[in-house]
Amino acid sequence: MKKIGLFYGASTKKTAAIAQQIQEAFGEADLEIVPIESAWKKEFLTYNYLIVGTSTWFDGELPTYWDEIIPELTSLELQDKKVAIFGLGDQINYPDNFVDGIGLLADAFEIAGAQLVGLTSADGYSFNHSQALKDGKFLGLALDVENQPKQTEKRIHDWVEQLRKEFS
Amino acid sequence: MKKYDIKSTDKETLRKWYYLMTLGRMIDEKAPAYLLQSLGWSFHAPYAGHDGIQLAMGQVFTRGEDFFFPYYRDLLAALSAGMTAEEIILNGLSKATDLTSGGRHMSNHFAKMEWNIQNISSATATQDLHAVGVARAMAYYGHKGVVIASHGESSVSEGFVYEAINGASTEQLPVIFVIEDNGFGISVPKKDQTSNPKVAANFSGFKNLKIIYCNGKDVFDSMNAMAEAREYAITKHNPVIVHANCVRIGSHSNSDKHTLYRDEDELAYVKAADPLQKFRRMLLRYERFTEDELKKIEEEAKKELSAANKRAIAAPDPDASTVLDYVLPEPYKPKVYVDGTHNQEGEKKNMVTAINETLKAEFRHNPDTFLWGQDVANKDKGGVFNVTKGMQQEFGVKRVFNAPIAEDYIVGTANGMSRFDPKIRIVIEGAEFADYFWPAVEQYVECTHEYWRSNGQFVPNITLRLASGGYIGGGLYHSQTLEGALTTLPGARIVYPSFADDAAGLLRTSLRSKGFTLYLEPKAQYNAVEAATVVPDDFEVPFGKARIRREGTDLSIITYGNTTHFCLTVADRLAKEFGWNVEVMDLRSLIPLDKEAIFESVKKTSKALIVHEDKVFSGFGAEIAAMIGEEMFRYLDAPVQRVGSIFTPVGFHPNFEKAILPGEERIYKAAKSLLEY
Repeated sequence: MKKIGLFYGASTKKTAAIAQQIQEAFGEADLEIVPIESAWKKEFLTYNYLIVGTSTWFDGELPTYWDEIIPELTSLELQDKKVAIFGLGDQINYPDNFVDGIGLLADAFEIAGAQLVGLTSADGYSFNHSQALKDGKFLGLALDVENQPKQTEKRIHDWVEQLRKEFS
Repeated sequence: MKKYDIKSTDKETLRKWYYLMTLGRMIDEKAPAYLLQSLGWSFHAPYAGHDGIQLAMGQVFTRGEDFFFPYYRDLLAALSAGMTAEEIILNGLSKATDLTSGGRHMSNHFAKMEWNIQNISSATATQDLHAVGVARAMAYYGHKGVVIASHGESSVSEGFVYEAINGASTEQLPVIFVIEDNGFGISVPKKDQTSNPKVAANFSGFKNLKIIYCNGKDVFDSMNAMAEAREYAITKHNPVIVHANCVRIGSHSNSDKHTLYRDEDELAYVKAADPLQKFRRMLLRYERFTEDELKKIEEEAKKELSAANKRAIAAPDPDASTVLDYVLPEPYKPKVYVDGTHNQEGEKKNMVTAINETLKAEFRHNPDTFLWGQDVANKDKGGVFNVTKGMQQEFGVKRVFNAPIAEDYIVGTANGMSRFDPKIRIVIEGAEFADYFWPAVEQYVECTHEYWRSNGQFVPNITLRLASGGYIGGGLYHSQTLEGALTTLPGARIVYPSFADDAAGLLRTSLRSKGFTLYLEPKAQYNAVEAATVVPDDFEVPFGKARIRREGTDLSIITYGNTTHFCLTVADRLAKEFGWNVEVMDLRSLIPLDKEAIFESVKKTSKALIVHEDKVFSGFGAEIAAMIGEEMFRYLDAPVQRVGSIFTPVGFHPNFEKAILPGEERIYKAAKSLLEY
């Protein structure tokens, strides 16, 4: 399997912890961590498979470290890349923009021509609205460590297994 | 295709934006220091976190075409619209040369009236109604431009914001309502304000209204949103809401301590979203500027602030001796009927006809006159009492039209429309009955403040008509008279005629005057025979000129409105029964008050009885009684007496009404007692 780039905010805590679990599930040798704060064209073009992680800020925004590179990201040509997105959200306190960050990143990568993989079922979640939802599926892996912490490990495990197939 | 982005926006534009944002933030951060040095700026609401949308509002505002109503947190918006750092600081320090008000208004209210950056109230979002009024004038006069009004998300909970957006949607007016959503109304989180996290979504069902959501922390997203909004409002002649997600990095103001209700995590979270730092990082990351170039811009901003600071501190403070300036503008001075009397003979007209004919005559005389209110114009109906009958037919739907059942909207949009051009004169029926005017009192207060607060730069030219008073069996909600409550507010003329000719003359004077006049109509007299008079076609009555309706030497009865007629009957009866000669003075104007005429009469009779329909307790008569007591005591042969309503609401059953409102018997008894004293 070719190397996979794992992109997330280096300054984060919860997202970084999830990224670490994903890395462990994949096996460290297959994954390279790329801090999004320093990622640019070269980094995105280096990998054929990208896993990108984000939280959702405020009422449905990307964190600044992602938001700031969107103009660069959307100008790239990523037609030969497969991208899987994971996002953290809180269904109880922010049910109107649950894991919107996944949807916002999905939009950006689609503009760049990348193929989205790692879509998951929305079953087992309860929220009002999410930009991550398309045709009844999340455009990535939605995690709610605040309200469904016990399900996180299995969700990650299942997703990684799914990605192993979709990345091939 | 978005108009602005980090890659394609030209370097000079980016430089200008970064300069404005840096300078604005420097002022924002320096403001509290002035207070610590006791130099002023005691109210400062920091804008940090709103940078993107505020820059965009100011940049999109087009001088000479647009009107802008910034709220008290819009320091950067004002700077971005073209105000200088010095002008901002002059306002902060409340200097005599402060463009907003010469130090009269609270700091952090930035205005430049000559550019149509408007002077607004601290009661934030009340300006939304003014914005709609200006836009109505733009539509009427075919002016190309938009009105931008901004405020936070919490003030959207106010009913008048609904009224404004509803009205702009109904009338299809080019207003951009900018909601700067920072998540808090002082300490109240927005989840306690409304159920939608983005309050603009509450208006999603409004026809003709476009809603644009943007990231108010992001310069480019904000610029694109505002540019799109302006283009849409102008080309589609429709309103827009721009909902800008912001953060509040600081406290609400310098009297607020946000650490009492915000935790460290949240504060760190919003600080991480600092729009200025984000913009700076992007300028570097996308290689639009080097670190040295940005530092050079920062140095330039620092120099400008330093120079502005020195000049502003040295500027003169306001002179307290000017405090009485700009309470009321000079009124129109009647030329033919200098004292507001006449001797014309002929056919008598009732009051409703006199008002109707005067309105029509003045609307023919001045094409820049407008009238609106509830029920004022639908086919043959012209107001609840038909006062405006036939006006829409003659002057058209654009000058005479119905208003929604929203009293605040009626008054607030009149204030706004006045701002477009001082030649405009507006007549409004403030409510169906005076009893229903109370929701509009906030806008009434604004109308009274404008002239003084703007240091004479703006006064709304409004005649506010209210069908007032009782004696029609109307009960609690069709009998009220409001002068007792409203005469305490400086900044309005208040008139209250008793007869048809005075009603006509005062109305004409009001419509030819600059300023705000409350015109109270005693509705019981609309069709009353005793109020009917001969009315000269060109009759005028000056403000502040009482009229002696019956001359006398034994007692002065000072009255106005409905009770004038009772007093005249009582005076005749006392003359007939006892030979007493009672003088009856109809004040006609309460503000300005004809103090001279009152004192002359009291000097002559040495006895004063004040009669009005309103309650005795805290009624307007209390002021007259106190005035006579203080200044005319040596002329008095008896204590000043007052007759008015008892201290209850007006009951519906005739027995209640009779027991509550003053009538001839009560006046007769009081007058006789005084005459016998």
